[in-house]
Amino acid sequence: MAVAEKPLYYLSIHEAQQLIKDRKLSPVELTQAVLDRIAAVDGKLHAYINLMADSAMQEARTAEMEIAKGNWRGPMHGIPIAVKDQLDVAGAPARIRQFTEGVGDATAVRKLRDAGAVMLGKLHMSSLPDADLPAPRNPWNTEHITGGSSTGSGAAVAGGLCLGSLGEDTAGSIRNPSAFCGLAGLKGTYGRVSRHGLAPLSWSLDHCGPIARVVEDLAHMLNAIAGHDPQDPTSSNVPVVDYTTALRENVKGMAVGVPRAYIDECAPRTDAIVLKRVDEAIDQLRSLGARVEDVKVPTLHLATIANAVIYYNEFWAAHKSAAGEVLKTGAPQRRARIYLGLLTGSADYIQAQRIRSRCRSELAEVFQRVDCLALPNQAGPAPRMKDVGPIDTLFKHVVPEYHGPFNLTGLPTLSVPCGFSENNLPIALQIVGKPFDELTVLRAGYTYQQHMRWYEHRPEI
Amino acid sequence: MNKLIEENLLAVLKREGLEPKPGDLEQFSEIIDLYMENLKQLHSVNLGAEELAPVFRPEWTGK
Repeated sequence: MAVAEKPLYYLSIHEAQQLIKDRKLSPVELTQAVLDRIAAVDGKLHAYINLMADSAMQEARTAEMEIAKGNWRGPMHGIPIAVKDQLDVAGAPARIRQFTEGVGDATAVRKLRDAGAVMLGKLHMSSLPDADLPAPRNPWNTEHITGGSSTGSGAAVAGGLCLGSLGEDTAGSIRNPSAFCGLAGLKGTYGRVSRHGLAPLSWSLDHCGPIARVVEDLAHMLNAIAGHDPQDPTSSNVPVVDYTTALRENVKGMAVGVPRAYIDECAPRTDAIVLKRVDEAIDQLRSLGARVEDVKVPTLHLATIANAVIYYNEFWAAHKSAAGEVLKTGAPQRRARIYLGLLTGSADYIQAQRIRSRCRSELAEVFQRVDCLALPNQAGPAPRMKDVGPIDTLFKHVVPEYHGPFNLTGLPTLSVPCGFSENNLPIALQIVGKPFDELTVLRAGYTYQQHMRWYEHRPEI
Repeated sequence: MNKLIEENLLAVLKREGLEPKPGDLEQFSEIIDLYMENLKQLHSVNLGAEELAPVFRPEWTGK
């Protein structure tokens, strides 16, 4: 569908920023259109847990005035966005924290504000202590889940309830809802985006990153939020580049590695339609000029359980002082993580770190020969809500799967839609790059996206 | 849940001054058993004596 025929709430950030820059679209008009959309459909999708409509409209009016005076701050200026509850927002501390203090605005939130974005509010996530809050529904079929734990981000972006969102990913929580909801999602390299103001799950695995409708929007959001933060000692000094320079359709000569043995290891737990769509996507990359080769990462089959061991131990350590309260009032997933962390010995934790070190070495060797990896991003299309139990995600986290290995190794990883299942639910390809080489994963994803144009499909809600 | 694992979990909970929420051990028994089974896999690979976990470095790289 052409841009002119699109409702304003379904504009991409890339489209909207150009219209705002050219003063053909007002941030006030855009924000109002999104708020109207929220009023119309969030009763079905349940994405928002704290809608900040009044302050959002005030921010939109300020953006409009600044732009009218010639002070356009950049592509995020006047763009309505929303964030996963896990990120602190001044005046709306993270509900998920329960027993830890918030910091005002998380650094990534502050950076988006500095870039002129309009903050619409906080979005639902898995494991909130408020058990009475209805879980978000997948806009492609409201009988199905959005994927977690950035559940509200998936529903909101796919449903036109914001133009982009910040999520958090410890074991797939950006990539999973992106895949289930037909969106683009980026878990940048560990340290690329500050974790300051992010309610911790696992200090060495938590990644903050953008979820949006197209790859261009991820580049714009990453430009706004990337960079070193003195308040996060794990944030990196590696120079930030302009990620929009990746937005060119060219994978000619790009070497794409396919970890075939690992995919085969996961295949018994992966729907055939996912393997088919991902193979088709890899064939498309080949037809666009990429050189595709199978690669071996011998220890990758242990990466998921190593990720889980580190996750649950760091979760236990982060919540030790409040563990009694978590066990009394926390959500089932959080209680289970405490038990699993308690059951893990120090030798297990150290062994998990050694596996992490070995996987990094093996991947470093593989990346001598290839520019990126391509593999599935999910075991199947989004399941029905009635078929999913409160701790089902944990079963995924302890057997070989597609997400945890890249939290463990901290590599930049993109989720990009690669088609639909027989019952019209989205499926995604995962593209993994070298440390701090977000440019290559964005370029590969953008080239594929522009060729296939899956983003032109939109859900009917 | 495997009896030994359950006894171990109850012992460490007690050591930490914690009590499981009623019903949790039954509700989580399957994931706990699966996790503990897969934990053994972690030690199935011979990493050799020199494969280190993250290394301590004494230099001051702080803020």
